[in-house]
Amino acid sequence: MAKIGVFICHCGENIAAKVDCTKLAAAMGEHPGVEVSVEYKYFCSDPGQESVKKAIRENNLTGIVIAACSPRMHEATFRKACAEAGLNPYLCEIANIREQCSWVHTDGDMATAKAADIVRSMVEKVKRNNILQPIEVPVTRRALVIGGGIAGLQAALDIANAGQEVVLVEREPSLGGHMAQLSETFPTLDCSQCIMTPRMVETAQHPNIRLLTYAEIESVDGYIGNFKVRVRMKARYVDMNACTGCGDCITKCPVKKISSEFDCGLGKRTAIYTPFAQSVPNMPVIDKASCIYFKNGKCKTCQKSCELNAINFEMQDEFIDLEIGAIVVATGFQVQNTALYGEYGYGKFPDVITGLQFERLASASGPTAGRILRPSDGKEPENVVFIQCAGSRDPSKGVRYCSKICCMYTAKHAMLYAHKVHDGKTHIFYMDIRAAGKGYDEFTRRAIEEDEASYVRGRVSKLWQENGKLMVRGVDTLLGKPVTVAADMVVLATAMVPQPNAKEFAKTIGIAYDEYGFYNEAHLKLRPVESSTAGVFLAGACQSPKDIPDSVAQASATASKVLALFSKEKLEREPVIAVNNEATCAGCWGCVLACPYNAIEKKDIRDRSGKLVKQVAYVNPGLCQGCGTCVSFCRSNSLDLAGFTEKQIFAEVMGL
Amino acid sequence: MSEPFEPKIVAFVCTYCTYAGADLAGTSRLKYAPNVRIVRLPCTGRISPMFILKALQKGADGVLVSGCHPGDCHFTHGNYHARRRWMVFRALLDFTGISPERVIFSWISAAEGSKFADLINSVTEDIRKLGPFDQYQQLIKETESPATL
Amino acid sequence: MITQEKYRTTVKELLANGSIKMAIGYRPGSTSDRRRPLFIRTSEEADQLVLDSTCITNLSGYLVTEGLLSDEKRVGIFLRPEGIRSINILAAEYQLNVDQIIIFGFDFTGREVRALQGQTTGDFSALLSEIRENPPLATKEPLLERIEKMNAKERFDFWQQEFSRCIKCYACRQACPMCYCRRCIVDSNQPQWVNTSSHTLGNFEWNVVRAFHLSGRCVQCGNCDRACPVNIPLRLINQRMAKEVVDGFDHFAGLSPTQEPVLASFKKDDTETFIL
Repeated sequence: MAKIGVFICHCGENIAAKVDCTKLAAAMGEHPGVEVSVEYKYFCSDPGQESVKKAIRENNLTGIVIAACSPRMHEATFRKACAEAGLNPYLCEIANIREQCSWVHTDGDMATAKAADIVRSMVEKVKRNNILQPIEVPVTRRALVIGGGIAGLQAALDIANAGQEVVLVEREPSLGGHMAQLSETFPTLDCSQCIMTPRMVETAQHPNIRLLTYAEIESVDGYIGNFKVRVRMKARYVDMNACTGCGDCITKCPVKKISSEFDCGLGKRTAIYTPFAQSVPNMPVIDKASCIYFKNGKCKTCQKSCELNAINFEMQDEFIDLEIGAIVVATGFQVQNTALYGEYGYGKFPDVITGLQFERLASASGPTAGRILRPSDGKEPENVVFIQCAGSRDPSKGVRYCSKICCMYTAKHAMLYAHKVHDGKTHIFYMDIRAAGKGYDEFTRRAIEEDEASYVRGRVSKLWQENGKLMVRGVDTLLGKPVTVAADMVVLATAMVPQPNAKEFAKTIGIAYDEYGFYNEAHLKLRPVESSTAGVFLAGACQSPKDIPDSVAQASATASKVLALFSKEKLEREPVIAVNNEATCAGCWGCVLACPYNAIEKKDIRDRSGKLVKQVAYVNPGLCQGCGTCVSFCRSNSLDLAGFTEKQIFAEVMGL
Repeated sequence: MSEPFEPKIVAFVCTYCTYAGADLAGTSRLKYAPNVRIVRLPCTGRISPMFILKALQKGADGVLVSGCHPGDCHFTHGNYHARRRWMVFRALLDFTGISPERVIFSWISAAEGSKFADLINSVTEDIRKLGPFDQYQQLIKETESPATL
Repeated sequence: MITQEKYRTTVKELLANGSIKMAIGYRPGSTSDRRRPLFIRTSEEADQLVLDSTCITNLSGYLVTEGLLSDEKRVGIFLRPEGIRSINILAAEYQLNVDQIIIFGFDFTGREVRALQGQTTGDFSALLSEIRENPPLATKEPLLERIEKMNAKERFDFWQQEFSRCIKCYACRQACPMCYCRRCIVDSNQPQWVNTSSHTLGNFEWNVVRAFHLSGRCVQCGNCDRACPVNIPLRLINQRMAKEVVDGFDHFAGLSPTQEPVLASFKKDDTETFIL
């Protein structure tokens, strides 16, 4: 038999001024199943809570309804009081008669009648409440960071420095990502290598970080606190335990004309190579596609040159299985292929280059040792044109969004060029100068005022070659006139787009992505670093275009999320989750499709001999967030949501 | 003259947006018609069409269903799923004779306290004009007597 | 007649060479215009097969009989285009594996029966797309148009009149290939969402819930209509809902075995003009 306690709070005058609490308490006392119905000035006060606890104990109440303010105010308070009185906290319901009754109505009788309906329906609901226990999920305190660019490094170091284990997986042979390719960084013009390489070394040497380079994520299973991750270690053909990184093999390699990915095609590398001189780990890999031995079975020059016998052509891909508690995805971006702009002649004219290529030219460790030289003839350009938004904010040909970093790096390029080629001229075609950020607008002003970058507000329509010059035809919308600039080099501020395999990779880890392939955060404003999958966090440009400060900030935020998760041995969650009635489930899997969290799995039901009888839906309590979308989809009414069960809602509506 | 007709309206709302919006109307001390009774659910995705039928069975003259605006769902997609179901269920009710004027859907965010208050007022007035849902209430009344074949 | 003979031979061949373990077709019923399902396991049984313009029942529901397909052997079945759509929906809802189904497709114009080319659902996808583009004229229902012209009050009265006759025999559910749930919502009594007494209220709730559950899944085979002992025009509701999902979500039920169920999926730009 239900023994419900109803506690009607006056909230000083807030409720009592409109709702006749005495009448309400009396009426509720008459309601079937109500054992106690009392009123009090402030139930949330200490004496108020004590009186609730006392009533629970003395009357052996099976559930309570607090008729007071919104559950968003004091539900936690009264649940705690219940627990202290020995009543399961989920046997407490709040009837909101303040925010949704006394404060919004003028007529006292009507308000009292409404309050009675509200309380009655909550009494009917609480009669059907079940004893629930918070869900405890064990947490493996080991984080996986995917991606060894600046975001991944920052996240890994922050987590590792807090004393937790980290596995860092990087697809390329070396850490560094895009930031390692940059020359100087805005808005301070400090050298990217100078701030990046120490981080890379620190990561590699950190006792809490296990570094897996030249490795890719093969599969991710499980859920928050309990992921099972399989990593494919791609065959390097170099034994990392034996190699000392002396580089003899690289100097001896006869294949020397491979276009260097790191130098964006402006430099060359060998078939056995490290991406760049400061690679971490500083151990080469063999590019199987270019290696003579792998092509025709002869050569092995590198093996002969290696005194340590570190080169092993028989090496195979290996798999490593990891138990992981939290995942930070920091897989970065790629630069959009600008060949789609036929009018800019990228790929046709060698001196039309991308911003990233310009970075390599300007980098002291780049193919030109930091000198700005034209790729076509190696001459110093006297006039450089920069075209901003070469892909961004262009719904017809490129992408709709703003790539965010281009305004700043173009200003930086103009500056670097002016510093290196003193009498050089720069023209920058732009749509808007978006320089929001600490020190950013000052930076672009400096490019204009000190380094004399000439900004032309307008788009470029055509580019052609004439007398050894690149003729750039555009419009100056401020003057309202077409302009033609004869340039020696043209730099395109290309769009930042998701990695080519971003969508497939999202499916591997089970996170959502937007129309472009950038990963979706759980909430754009309030949960910007969490993915929609619990325990998977997002850092850096894989979520949206970002500059270095933003990537680092977001990475540190993911680290704090991971550390919060790791601060306890077990994760406690509200027990509001869906449960399935396996007996009645028809296995139509509509719920699997409807679930926003991929929390519903197919479970085999077998008979005693182990024969598969049927498959039913199983809700993984670690993943379910308790929205109930599956419940209202389920035609056979097999799924139900703890805390908001069909029985509870039915009773609540019928109690109105 | 008998008392003016006071419509009974049941609202099914999600806790993260519309319920919070209703709370905001309260904390802002906005005044609105006392005819609505709110049932709180975690998400619009949890709102089953059965709830609407049961509210009508309880004598509701109108039903309001409300949740987060598209893109704002706390559970990311619950409201998108709900929207499809609403559209279909609304058409079904319309076809079987329950006027869409009695079953109203809206998006109200946690910041839209005034939208909530205004909507309750306008819905209450609209349903007052429509009058009591006599046809349905006749059916309910019928259930109180023994069934005939 | 030729089609019937051809199919008898085909069924015998497939049974003999073990391609199928059973074929589901039609045999004579109690009167000349009625047909009963026929479960053909032997050559003799195949001789009872009848295929003519009275073979209108959608037999696909028999395929989800518990245990029928669990041995992973193949079953042949006689289906008209809407039956093929049913198979696709059942496959999309994981109730059967299309690889196990051999389709003996047929259709008729007037009394003329003709075979449809193909054996697996995929073979009929062009045909189904064609039906989607140009629905047969027979789907025009004058009564449906009449109902749509009524105002809400009249519609309510119309349906209450119809539903008042319902005796909750659940023949509609039994006849419907889509009603494969192990437990129907109407049989769930904790809570009792649908009133089970034969009052009109419960009848209304039952028929509305069934129509909702069939939205985006009904192929208008008419099994429910024909099964109803009190002649409630159930198909009209389902037909109206089918139109709704086609218009609203561009979802023509049963186009392919991998079609996403319309109410378990969404598009961010679904229409929402009705939402305030």
